[in-house]
Amino acid sequence: MRKTLVHFFTIADYEEEELWLRKQHRNGWKLVKMTPPCFFTFEECEPEDVIYRLDYKNSEQTEEYMQMLNDFGWEYCGKCFGWLYFRKPASAAETDEDGELFSDNASRVEMVSHIVKTKLMPLCVIFFCCVIPNFVRVLFGDYYGGAELFFGILFGALFVIYVYMIVYCGLKLRRIRKKYEQ
Amino acid sequence: MDDRIRRIYVPMTESGFYILFFLQTPQHGYGISQQVKKLTGGAVNISAGTMYGALSKMEADGLISFCREEEKRKLYQVTALGREILETEIRRIERLYRNSKGENVDA
Repeated sequence: MRKTLVHFFTIADYEEEELWLRKQHRNGWKLVKMTPPCFFTFEECEPEDVIYRLDYKNSEQTEEYMQMLNDFGWEYCGKCFGWLYFRKPASAAETDEDGELFSDNASRVEMVSHIVKTKLMPLCVIFFCCVIPNFVRVLFGDYYGGAELFFGILFGALFVIYVYMIVYCGLKLRRIRKKYEQ
Repeated sequence: MDDRIRRIYVPMTESGFYILFFLQTPQHGYGISQQVKKLTGGAVNISAGTMYGALSKMEADGLISFCREEEKRKLYQVTALGREILETEIRRIERLYRNSKGENVDA
């Protein structure tokens, strides 16, 4: 049997997402597929403690990378918006590092910086160059027809969503980076 | 050795040191991690993502170079620059060790 769950995780929630997927597998549901932006398809399976890990690669992952992850015992189980999903049974991880994609803080911090540079920054650019100008234009426009009202509400909603996303993700990514910089 | 490389790699991380050390003979990522685990008695473990990132960076900086491919796995080997950095690091660690025992080190 299959089921599809809707769960939205931001670009700063990957550690929660890993735990959520692990919990699903422990309850007998393994991840089959991710459909952007927030649909997870699961298949019924034997309940098992399986570690899920997400890596972020904004460029195409190389064959060498996939081979290396495979050598280290990671099973690839899908990708979504540059996020790659991997899993490994907890019993196969002899040490803590075996259950992680990154074994030192330098590489954990590097991944956060990579997310900020290629995900959060573009979000800010769209916000300042597209959402704000349009919102202001609609707000102070001369005409007040049905179309203006529609776009007013649309850009107003986008404005709120973007502010929330940028502030929330920015602060959270900073907190994650701090945690690993110590 | 230029300043940028020196700034990044001297001193280097423990993972970086072991990777460079084991690439004195051609080896692939997983092979290195197994050798490190064995030689350190399990004290140092390098995970997949960290290994891949370190190899990519070291290759881009010219410390190691692609050697050959074996069953889709890329084998790398240390370059002259990489060897120079490794030797610099070994001298630094030797000094640390001798100083920690209360010995003086001549310039």
